[in-house]
Amino acid sequence: MNLTRLTVVVAGLLAALLAAPTARAQGLDRAGLIANLCGNAGAMGEAAAVLTGLAMSGDAADRAFAVPLARAVIDRKLACDDAGAVLTESGLDAVTRAPRAAAGEPRTPVLSLKNRATYEQVDAALALRAAPEAAQRAAALKTLERRPALIPEGLLDAAAASEPDAGLKADIETLAQTAALTAADPAARIRALARIADNPSRRALTQVSALTADPAYAASPEFRAAVDEATARIGRGIAVGDVLATAYNGLSFASILFMAAIGLAIIFGLMGVINLAQGELIMIGAYVTWLVQQGLRVVAPSLLDWYLVLAIPIAFVVTAAIGIALEASLLRHLYKRPLMSLLATWAVSLFLMNLVRVVFGTQNLQFETPFYVTGGVPVIGDFIFTWNRMFAIAFAVVTLALTWGLVRRTPFGLNIRAVTQNRDMAACIGIPTRRVDMMAFGLGSGLAGLAGLALSPIYSVNPQMGQNFIIDAFMVVVLGGVGTIAGTVVAALGIGQINVLIEPLWGAVAAKVIVLLMIIAFLQWRPEGLFAVKGRRK
Amino acid sequence: MNRFGRITHTAPIVHLIALIVLAALLMAGLAGTEFALSRYLANAIGQLAAFAVLAISLDLIWGYLGILSLGHGLFFALGGYLMAMYLLKHSFEITGTVPDFLQFMGWKEFPFYWDGFEFFPYALAAAVVITTLISGLFGYVSFRSRVGGVYFAIITQALVYVAMLLMFRNDTGFGGNNGMTGFTVLFGWPMGTSGMITALAVASLLVLAGVLAGCNWLVRSRFGALMLATRDDETRLRTMGYETLRLKLIVWCLSALIAMLAGMLYVPQVGIINPRVLSPELSLEIAVWVAIGGRGHLVGAVIGALLVNAVKFWLSFAAPEIWPFILSGLIVLVVLVFPNGLMDLAKFKLVRPMGAKRLAADMGEARP
Repeated sequence: MNLTRLTVVVAGLLAALLAAPTARAQGLDRAGLIANLCGNAGAMGEAAAVLTGLAMSGDAADRAFAVPLARAVIDRKLACDDAGAVLTESGLDAVTRAPRAAAGEPRTPVLSLKNRATYEQVDAALALRAAPEAAQRAAALKTLERRPALIPEGLLDAAAASEPDAGLKADIETLAQTAALTAADPAARIRALARIADNPSRRALTQVSALTADPAYAASPEFRAAVDEATARIGRGIAVGDVLATAYNGLSFASILFMAAIGLAIIFGLMGVINLAQGELIMIGAYVTWLVQQGLRVVAPSLLDWYLVLAIPIAFVVTAAIGIALEASLLRHLYKRPLMSLLATWAVSLFLMNLVRVVFGTQNLQFETPFYVTGGVPVIGDFIFTWNRMFAIAFAVVTLALTWGLVRRTPFGLNIRAVTQNRDMAACIGIPTRRVDMMAFGLGSGLAGLAGLALSPIYSVNPQMGQNFIIDAFMVVVLGGVGTIAGTVVAALGIGQINVLIEPLWGAVAAKVIVLLMIIAFLQWRPEGLFAVKGRRK
Repeated sequence: MNRFGRITHTAPIVHLIALIVLAALLMAGLAGTEFALSRYLANAIGQLAAFAVLAISLDLIWGYLGILSLGHGLFFALGGYLMAMYLLKHSFEITGTVPDFLQFMGWKEFPFYWDGFEFFPYALAAAVVITTLISGLFGYVSFRSRVGGVYFAIITQALVYVAMLLMFRNDTGFGGNNGMTGFTVLFGWPMGTSGMITALAVASLLVLAGVLAGCNWLVRSRFGALMLATRDDETRLRTMGYETLRLKLIVWCLSALIAMLAGMLYVPQVGIINPRVLSPELSLEIAVWVAIGGRGHLVGAVIGALLVNAVKFWLSFAAPEIWPFILSGLIVLVVLVFPNGLMDLAKFKLVRPMGAKRLAADMGEARP
């Protein structure tokens, strides 16, 4: 029996839901509305109220019906006759929207001064909800902005909810806050304060703190409490947002650092060689990404948005090939002379940088920003979760996972670890150490190329760009210890976060100075880095 | 070579010192006559001499101690900046010229730490003290924790890079990114005259000769033998009871002081100092001069610095854009074919044997 009852209730609810729009549509007495528009000042006021209601909550058909009416009244393009009214501009009957001419002696309703303002407002409200073009809606919003106190509560929220244009939507929301704060009804203002405090931002803080000068702040204790409460909540929100934003920027910087340093760390651990050309390999990775973009523009413009993804294998292969060539031609002869290999790799760095400068010029490259690295999601306060930084972070995480898998789970990785731990013993048991060196150098260089790809949506790309990352990347290697992935990750996170943390306080230069001093101090305690393999000091 | 691996033939270095002194005397003697060098040439010789002093400073620790510094530009710049401070303050005292950077920042007077820089002895003392302090502190913390090899090289590089970023700031009171320029008076004499240019060049040559003689004496002494021993096998030396920390620290500070001296000679001759002197590239270039000339040979360092910079001077007029390519080509050539730089040419009998047998290729470079 209970079940039957429930079914009946649900069915009833469904019926009510389905019937609701129809009921509302029937609720709008179109003929009555037109009659009121043609009536005296009082009737016209009632009509305005009906139209306002339509702008806020009526259904789409009714709103479309209402859109031309307020404008027609203002412009005196409404001809009232015995049968109702005609919109003279289009020559349509106001009620049925069938073409007809006004009969008899038509009368044009005249707006009183008070009603004129109301109708301007109503017209804008209707246009904001129902105009097809974004520009028209923006113009309507401008009109509404002039008298925020007259905007009916709820209109802007409804408009914001249905607004497809993101920029206009943000404007509408801002105006909604301003309007609610200046409303006449104190309860509405307090509600508005609570709503604003839900979305803390610096703009909201200025808006709310301006209210302490409002007469109501001194007069009404409730209002004062609400303002103070909102200020405190917004302040907290901003603080949380700032912390999150700093952490997020630090994380993205750390991702780039990690990508730049992981190749260095592998090579350094394996061969004791620091590759001063790593920065230029990063730069070449970015240039290859750009070339892929330019190539797609010519060959397959429809795929242009996906150039960042398509460039991944190409950037890796090109830079890895350069690395392998470098190892085979130059570094192979220098393993016993690591200091000379510093000079040799610097020569390569100089050569590559100037080659790129001669071929491509010194200007910054222009990159398309595909949709998946555009914009972001505002989270709290001024913290925006931007997709371009997320791209770098996700890229670094995937690279970390793949590199880790490669080093820990494949025969090649086993060889790399064996040679890193004891080159002579590895050679004795038949590991081709020279080939492992070459392939590992290729891997490290390829990772640098991927770093270049990952940072191209965030940083500017030019022949000198490698220099900006390389010294930080060296510091990551020094801090992390020789040839450990975990050390590189922790050191990159640490240096990235500390840099970003200090920067807003004392500036970027102070951040670099402090990071360097901290590393030098740290080396006093652990000269071999964070995650050095325990053993005899070499 | 004797059993310490020291070069026992004395001839080349004595010849070189004699040549330098002779050149200095000739320049001084001919000044004002029709045989005098052109201003440009005299100035170039003076600058080259300053670079040669800088190369010797690096060779002292890299060639004889096996420690590569990629941040020697820091000490060069220290000398340069403190000399420039003296020159500006001195010029201001005498002619009342207000330095550009003060006007640029809108400051009415020199910051307090410029006090006293109008006296050269004070500026010199400040340079010596500050250089010793910085190099001593950095050397102590690095050598104490036995940071060496590639680690040391890249940390020194980071040091000079950070110093460059610091000096690029305009609010430090050291000229910011425009640096310091507009020196008008030196020791009461107007600058930019032929006489002053010649005098500076002669002074640089004499300092070069002095530094060369002093370092030659040092590396031939018992102390020099310990330096080579540290380079070749530090662990063994420590096992035998020698304290290498103090030794390394002394040579490191001495090297920094020589680099500072080079900077003090350099700045009045080019008439400007700016943060680009602190760029990691310049510090790497110093290592390249030494590598090309031949590590572990004072003569080699001088010749390397003179050759590379002479080519650079010449190319900066003829074809500035190909200089990086030539430099990188030279480095690769030296690194792959002539590990001891020009000293390797001796074995092809292209130049007179300079007493150097080819040193072991892996001289003094243990894997980190």
